[in-house]
Amino acid sequence: MKFGRMVFGVGGVLTAVVLAGCGGGIPNVEEATARGILLKGNGAEPKTLDPQVATGVTENKIISALIEGLISYHPTDDELPEPGVAERWEANEDYSEWTFFLRADARWSNGDPVTSHDFVWSYERMLTPEFGAEYVEMLYPMENAEAFHRGELTDFSEVGVEAPDDHTLHIRLVGPTPFFLGMLKHYAWFPVHPPTVEAHGRGWLDRSSPWTLQGRYVGNGPFVLEEWRVNQYIRVTKSPTYWDRDQVRLNEIYFMVIEDVNTEQRMYASGRLHVTNTVPSNDIANLRRTRPEELRLEPYLGTYFYRFNTTRPPFDDVRVRRALAMAMDREAIVNRVTLGDQTPAYAFVPPGFDDYPRRRLVEHDPETARRLLAEAGFAEGGGFPRKFLLFNTLEDHRKIAEAVVSMWNRELGIDFQLENKEWRVYLEAQSQLDFDISRAGWIGDYMDPVTFLELWTTDNGNNNTGWSNARYDELIREAFRSKTQEAHYAALIEAEEILMAEMPVIPVYHYNRIYLIRPEVRGWNPKLLDNRPYKYLYLE
Amino acid sequence: MAFPKNISPDAKRLPDLSIDPEQIEEGSSLWQDAWARLRKNKLSLFSFWTLIVIAVVCFAGPLLTPYSYVEQDLERTLQGPSWQHWFGTDDLGRDQLTRVLVGGRVSLTVGIIATCVSLLIGVTYGAAAAYAGGKAEAVMMRMVDILYAMPFTIFVILLMTIFERSLLLLFIAIGAVEWLTMARIVHGQVKSLKEQEFIEAAVSLGYGTRRILFRHLIPNVLGVVTVYATLTVPSVMLLESFLSFLGLGVQPPQPSWGSLIKLGADNIQLFPHLLVIPAFFFSLTLFCLNFLGDGLRDALDPKSSKD
Repeated sequence: MKFGRMVFGVGGVLTAVVLAGCGGGIPNVEEATARGILLKGNGAEPKTLDPQVATGVTENKIISALIEGLISYHPTDDELPEPGVAERWEANEDYSEWTFFLRADARWSNGDPVTSHDFVWSYERMLTPEFGAEYVEMLYPMENAEAFHRGELTDFSEVGVEAPDDHTLHIRLVGPTPFFLGMLKHYAWFPVHPPTVEAHGRGWLDRSSPWTLQGRYVGNGPFVLEEWRVNQYIRVTKSPTYWDRDQVRLNEIYFMVIEDVNTEQRMYASGRLHVTNTVPSNDIANLRRTRPEELRLEPYLGTYFYRFNTTRPPFDDVRVRRALAMAMDREAIVNRVTLGDQTPAYAFVPPGFDDYPRRRLVEHDPETARRLLAEAGFAEGGGFPRKFLLFNTLEDHRKIAEAVVSMWNRELGIDFQLENKEWRVYLEAQSQLDFDISRAGWIGDYMDPVTFLELWTTDNGNNNTGWSNARYDELIREAFRSKTQEAHYAALIEAEEILMAEMPVIPVYHYNRIYLIRPEVRGWNPKLLDNRPYKYLYLE
Repeated sequence: MAFPKNISPDAKRLPDLSIDPEQIEEGSSLWQDAWARLRKNKLSLFSFWTLIVIAVVCFAGPLLTPYSYVEQDLERTLQGPSWQHWFGTDDLGRDQLTRVLVGGRVSLTVGIIATCVSLLIGVTYGAAAAYAGGKAEAVMMRMVDILYAMPFTIFVILLMTIFERSLLLLFIAIGAVEWLTMARIVHGQVKSLKEQEFIEAAVSLGYGTRRILFRHLIPNVLGVVTVYATLTVPSVMLLESFLSFLGLGVQPPQPSWGSLIKLGADNIQLFPHLLVIPAFFFSLTLFCLNFLGDGLRDALDPKSSKD
C-alpha cells in the first residue's frame, strides 16, 4: 500500500480555517464521546472510495468501514482471520483450493443479500484489462487471473473463481498459499454491489464512476456513507443492515481530512479529535513528557526506502547503488532525525514475521562505499553527474532527505540536489520513471514477507525502478507455488539476498505508527498492519 | 526671410532681465530632486539605510559565520540561541544565523528581480496601451484581463516544466505574472495624463511617440508605480515561499525567508526562536519597504512643490 499521503499542505491550513469557520456541525470530543461519535484524523482527501480503484492507506481506512470482505479484521491480531461475509471456510490439503461459505444474513446497505456472484462479478471487474486496476496483482494468486488480465485468456470462467450457488464461493490458486486468508483482508478482494456500479457512470468499467458519492454508495460493512464533504470530512453512520450490527457500538465516525500534521496536532490539543493520523517528528520528544499516556509508538509493518531509477546512469551501476546505500548512517537518521523509535532498516523486509530471519544485508560502511564508488569511476565523488533526490512535499521527508544528502556529501563527496513535488505529481514521476532517486514507503498488505518482495518483480506495477532480475522473478514465482512454509521462506530469503546485493532500493528504516489517542477510545489495539475493525471500537 | 537684428529702437526701455549668476537655479533632474526631497523624510531615509544594511549583511554575512548553511550537526538539533549559534540551530542542527542570512539573499533577490521584471513589462505595456488608444488599447487590455483569469500556479508550472528549472527562471516567472496589476495602474494613469495640455504641447512640437511615452508620460506615473512596486516586493517574496512549498521554487537545502518561517511556524509551540527570528527580519524588511515607498511617492511626484 502506498504510504506517505500525510502530505503537509496549504490545503491543510485552509481546511483548518474552514473547519474553524463552520465547525458548528462537528461536535467536540466531549459531545462526540457522549453521542458515540469517533473523530478520527485521516490525512489527505481520499481519491476514491471504490475498493477496486483505491491504492492508498488513506482510502483503506474509510473503505474498510464501508465494505466487508470474505475475511474481516481481527480485533487484536492482524495475523488471525476473523469471519466476515464468509461464515466459515475450508481449504484443501496444500492450501491451493479454498471454499468459502457465505453467511445468509449478509446484506448490502440497500437490503440486497450479499451473494457469491457479487464477488465473482467484482473480481472480473478488477481483472478486466480495460478497467486498469492498479492493485490487480493482489488477485494474481488466483488461477489464470494473470493470463486473463494480460488478455491471453478472454473467457472469465477459466479464472479460478466460481460460485456454485448463492452462498458458496470456490477459489483455486496457482499454488499453495497458506497466507491466503490474510490476503483476503485487503480491499482489492472486497466485493462491490453490481447494480449500483452499473447504474452510475459509463458502464461497469468506468474507473471514475460516481457510484461512490454520498447518497449512492452501497456497501456491506458495519457503517454506511452518510456525508462526504470534500476537503473537510467523510461521515459514516452505523449500518442498519449489517449482519453483525449488534456488535457495532459506535454510532458515527468522522474521517477528518487534515493534510497538515501540525494542524492536526493543534486540533487534537484543543479537543476536536479522538485519534490523530500521525505526529510531527519535532513534537515527539515533547509529547513523551507531556502526554505519555496518549502518545503511541507501535511497530508498523512497513519500510521507508529510497528507490533508484536503474535505467539512468550512473545508477545502472550496482557499485554506485551499493556505495550510496552503505554511506547512509541509519542509526543517526532514526535517533536524530525521525525521532520516533523506528527500526533502522538493514534489509527490506520489516521485523514482525515470526519465522522469517532478521538479517543485516547492508551495513553502514563508508570505507567500502568509497572504494566501490572509486571502482565505478567516481573516486571521491569526482565526475559524479548532477543528480536529484525526489520526495513528496512533506516536512519529515524533507528532513530525512536533507540528512541523507548531507551524509552522501560528507562520506562520498557527491552533491545531490533535492527536488520536492506535490503528491500526485510525485506519483506520476515515479510511475513514469522520471526521477534519479526517489523516496518511497511500502506498508505490507498482508502478513507474509512476500508482500514486500513481490514488488520488485519485472512486471509489478509498483516496481518503478526499471530493475529486473530473471532469477528474482523465478524465486517469487516459486514462493507462490511452494508446498511448505520452509520452501516458501527459502525462496524469499534468497530473493531478498539478491535484492540487497543488487540494491535497486535502499531501505532506510522500518515504520512505527506514531499517533495520539484519547483515553476515551476503547478497543483500539496495536496492530502490525493497522487494520482497524471499527465494529469493535467504543467510547467511554 | 531673415529677421532684422534690431527689432526696436526702444529696446533699451525694456526692464533689465539679466539675473545675478549667483541666483541661477541649476537645472536639476527628476532624480536629483527626488533624492533631495527623500533626504528630508527621516523615516524613509532610515528605512532606506536599514534596507541597505540588511542587504549588505545578508550578502556578506554568510562569509563571516564559521558555518555553512548546509552543514549539519545531528547531535545539536533544535537548540536555542547560544554563543556558538547566535540564533540557535534548526531541526538538522544547522546554524540558524547563517540560514537566515542566506535565506535573506534569496528573498531579497527574488523580490528585486521579480519586481523589476514586472515593472519593465507592466509599465511599458500599460503606457503603450493607454497611449495607443482605440482598438489596440482595447485588445491589449482585454489580453491583460484574460491573463488575470488564468490561474497563476498553472502558468508557473507550465513555465517550469517547459524550461529547465532554475532560480533565475523562478524570478522571471513571478515577475511575468505580477506585471498585470502594474499594467492596469499605469494604463489608468496614462489615460488621464495624455489628455492634459503638456502632452498636447509635446505632440504639437512634433515629438515622436517613444519620446512622449518615456520622457513625458512615464515620469509622471513614477510616483504611483513606485508605491505599487514597493508593495509588489513583499507579495513577490510571499509568492516565492508559496512556490517553494509546492516544490516549484527554491529547493532545500537552500533556505529562503518564506521556507524558514514555514519551518518555524510548524514548531512554534516548542521552538519559537525558529519562527521569531526569520519573521522579524522579514517583517522589518517589509516595513522598511513600505516606509520607503511612502517617501518615494512624495519625493517622485513632479507636481509637489520644489521648495
